[in-house]
Amino acid sequence: MTTYNRTPSLVLSLFALVIAFCSFVRAESNADNKLNMPYKAAGLTKEEAAAHLLSRFTYGAKVGEVEEVVKKGLDKWLKEQLEGDAKDEELNGLLNSYDAINLTNKEAEDAFPQPARVNRMAINQGYVNKDSVNNGNNKYQREAVAAFMKDKGYRPQGELFRQLINQKILRAAYTKNQFREIMTDFWFNHFNVALNKNQCAIFVPAYERDVIRPNVFGDFDQLLLKTAKSPAMLMYLDNFSSSGINVPVPGTENANTVSLEQRQKIKENIQKRFLQVRQQRKGNGGLNENYAREVMELHTLGVDGGYTQNDVTEAARILTGWTVAPMGNEGYGAATQKIIDRIGENNLRNKGFVIDGDFFFAMNRHDNGEKTVLGRKFEAGGGYEEGKALLEMLAHHKSTANFISKKIATRFVNDNPPQSLVDKLAKTFLAKNGNIKDVIITMVNSPEFWSKEALREKTKSPFELAISTVRSLNADISQPYQLYTWINRMGQQMYYYQAPTGFPDRGQYWINTGSLLNRMNFGLAFASQKIPGININLLALNDNHEPESAVSALETYSKLIMPERDLDKTIDRLKPMLNDPELQQKVADAAAKNNQNNQNNTVSMQNTADTDKMKSGKGKKAIENPVVRQQAGNSTILAQVVGVIIGSPEFQRK
Amino acid sequence: MVTRRGFIKAGGLALFGISLGGIPGFLAEAVAATTRPLLFKKKKILVCIFQRGAMDGLMAVTPFNDQYLQAVRPTLFMSAASNAKGKSLIDLDGKYGLHPSMSAFEQVFKDKRLAIVHGIGSPNNTRSHFDAQDFMESGTPFKKGTTSGWLNRAVGLLGHEAVTPFQAVSLTSSLPRSFYGDNAAVAIRNLSEFNIQLRGNPKGANLASKSFEDLYDQTSSGLLKTTGKESFEAINMLNKTNVAAYKPENNVVYPTSALGNSLKQIAQLIKMDVGMEVAFAESGGWDTHFNQGTDTGIFARNVNDLSNSIMAFWNDLEKYQDQVTVMTMTEFGRTVAQNGTGGTDHGRASCNFILGNDVKGGMVHGTVNPLAKENLEDGRDLAVTTDFRSVFSEVADLHLGINNDKILFPDFSGSHIGMMKI
Repeated sequence: MTTYNRTPSLVLSLFALVIAFCSFVRAESNADNKLNMPYKAAGLTKEEAAAHLLSRFTYGAKVGEVEEVVKKGLDKWLKEQLEGDAKDEELNGLLNSYDAINLTNKEAEDAFPQPARVNRMAINQGYVNKDSVNNGNNKYQREAVAAFMKDKGYRPQGELFRQLINQKILRAAYTKNQFREIMTDFWFNHFNVALNKNQCAIFVPAYERDVIRPNVFGDFDQLLLKTAKSPAMLMYLDNFSSSGINVPVPGTENANTVSLEQRQKIKENIQKRFLQVRQQRKGNGGLNENYAREVMELHTLGVDGGYTQNDVTEAARILTGWTVAPMGNEGYGAATQKIIDRIGENNLRNKGFVIDGDFFFAMNRHDNGEKTVLGRKFEAGGGYEEGKALLEMLAHHKSTANFISKKIATRFVNDNPPQSLVDKLAKTFLAKNGNIKDVIITMVNSPEFWSKEALREKTKSPFELAISTVRSLNADISQPYQLYTWINRMGQQMYYYQAPTGFPDRGQYWINTGSLLNRMNFGLAFASQKIPGININLLALNDNHEPESAVSALETYSKLIMPERDLDKTIDRLKPMLNDPELQQKVADAAAKNNQNNQNNTVSMQNTADTDKMKSGKGKKAIENPVVRQQAGNSTILAQVVGVIIGSPEFQRK
Repeated sequence: MVTRRGFIKAGGLALFGISLGGIPGFLAEAVAATTRPLLFKKKKILVCIFQRGAMDGLMAVTPFNDQYLQAVRPTLFMSAASNAKGKSLIDLDGKYGLHPSMSAFEQVFKDKRLAIVHGIGSPNNTRSHFDAQDFMESGTPFKKGTTSGWLNRAVGLLGHEAVTPFQAVSLTSSLPRSFYGDNAAVAIRNLSEFNIQLRGNPKGANLASKSFEDLYDQTSSGLLKTTGKESFEAINMLNKTNVAAYKPENNVVYPTSALGNSLKQIAQLIKMDVGMEVAFAESGGWDTHFNQGTDTGIFARNVNDLSNSIMAFWNDLEKYQDQVTVMTMTEFGRTVAQNGTGGTDHGRASCNFILGNDVKGGMVHGTVNPLAKENLEDGRDLAVTTDFRSVFSEVADLHLGINNDKILFPDFSGSHIGMMKI
């Protein structure tokens, strides 16, 4: 330590000590936080416990997966999931055909320009004749714009959004790192952004991919800082446009080399000038409080977290100048890029500007007066660093620990988690620097996680229902977007939740008359292969053993699809109807008679004939033999039984 | 959520006269155990139409004597005087002219059942579609984090238990922001889809339907059980009528547009007496940056569809007109001056239409000052002289009988403008 012999040496050595101490504490605490899951004490068998883990930390158990987890060992399985870095060759193979999902923000902005910008460019570059615009020739205009896009290699934004949606479905269904994907969904929803806001839409793919997914098990403060600096969030909650009064003060350029006393003097000067200018301008300039408010209300402290309107305004002032770096060739901030080029990056940095990837701290738009948030004073001239300090303070606040802990418990235990559990999680959150992995370990080590009130007490969201169906029936998805259409119909328009709150995590939100009917219809359509681009082989699930009767189909498949559950009531309730000797023939006949649109290759010949007959208006008689269908591995009666299982109340729970 | 659960209790089924033979035992019991509740007929219905994209209020309802407007809209301005070139505006009161493609509105305006509020908008001056819609639908123009929408809160303030799953219905594929919240609200894309169905296999669907009904009846989850019951009751309600074969009254023909189709289905729900009190529909294509047109063109087609859809709905519902108020809304207006591409850009105030027998119609309410630059907001836009919440709360209060504006529009302390009859 004695090697530091200049003025700030004492400060520096103290700093080093603090760091050393912190890492010491971290190392210690990690050793403390071992997995010790009390499922036995809760009266659960290993198999039941495995089923519960799978229900909480995956998008649904596949057939045989409970046994696999038991064989691997519950602790080992969970540890691997918490690492979440298993190689995903199969998934990556499927994702290879999506060429836009790995584009950087800049590349996306170049390839998928906003429609309004395309129109402007097409007119400016002479592709669209200005007179035609005034004449009202829409068809001509559309075609001219399309030709322009083709020439320039521009693609419609809808294509990018479609790829984003498709990759989410494929990842959830097929990734080995199931828990990471669940947490990606959780944090995306917590730090919600939406495609229906034009300005941020183009940045959403990179947001999920680079800001959320790699950081889901890390420290909360990192997640918060990274979302705050991301173009998607800066646009979605308008902070990109927020500016304040900036009073340039000579001497600040060399703020790092001057003495403490000089620095104090500079701060006082800034504050003095600042107050004068504010007096003249009568206000805070172009302040936008949206992000500052929501970062406290929704991202950290929670609505009752103990902040005031004044705290919001002061925090907004601190975050003025936090904006998006110039993008692409003609995209966002082309004008800013010119300024950067003219002044030079190094000169800008010396003046307190920050360029960090897609993030830009515009010092000239930053309010550099003094501020106070939650009782803490931020001295004048704090620049970019005071914003970081603000977020750091919020991330480690006690209210934040409570708010995040409750949200995690609500997601993984039940809709009204016990306070005792929330307190435990909050304690770990505060003790472990907001480390999410540690919080989760504390959760699974708690009896509350394994209690009767937790088992199967959550209602699947429409997305979870769809993906768990894919997983439990081992379906092949060749057109993911078809599933999205159903998920949307069941009430979850993914990536389009308009409010920054994200989707509510409550069964009552998902279940209403309309959505419930669609869940049942989804089960029927899925199992009978009426959803294009989804392929299943029901017999293969049961090692190609054909069930002897409708009742045995019900018993066998409900156990395969919902392992380790008490299904006696479900089965008893359905048995009488399935025992009806005529049922099988009735269903098969009905299907054969009406089916005009089956995708099953084995029977496609018959179907074509059937359809032609129907078209010619003659035969209403079935010519399709139900037996043919049974051989194809998806007998109608079996499909019907499985469809009812998927639509049953038991399968809506997890 | 408590309200929605009142359905069985209030014996909604008895009211719909479903024959007991067709419904399972548990429902029959529920019906038998209750007496007839109040008739839904006594209830009022508010139908809201959101014009997404921001309608040019100055072209829909033009202050045609304004010299400034004429000057800055050289190719978009229309006159009220009949001239040789194209159709002229419909003179409403010597000051305002209705776009000629909205001639369907002329008679109801004369009959004093259609009111217009001009200069309406949000106190928040954002010109982002997303933000402005968000603020208008949440009803809190300076607060993004409001979890609920104003129409959902309106449902909560109706002051009686919901006896139907159809109390608030949106004819959209997903729930609009206005409907977010704790009170029951349902989005239905198409009434005929509201059933257990399996493409190509109706009989299989029918059998499955019985299985589902049984399963949901026995489940231990209270939420799934009650909602399951409601779902099957709702199916029964709708299945009383053949929704696909609907014949509007008065030989009305609805436009085949999305809006026409939505309003037709809202009319069906009203006639079915399913207990709907708030309905929501959308109309798109109002973001006319390019090539807006005058008496023909994009804007003309849009207002033509809007007015024809609304009037088809209104005439179809002749017997129910005392119960119904229709209100349009749009997130903001457009620039006073036309832009370089024959259109208008994002502005501030617009106008809206309110139709109903409770409305002080035949008037253009609100204030539009002369459109000289110094009177414009930020030197470019029609100034907001009426806060949208003044109008929304007045309509909700006086039509639906809501009397708690603190919950309906928190942070709002303005007053009504007197566009409804008291």
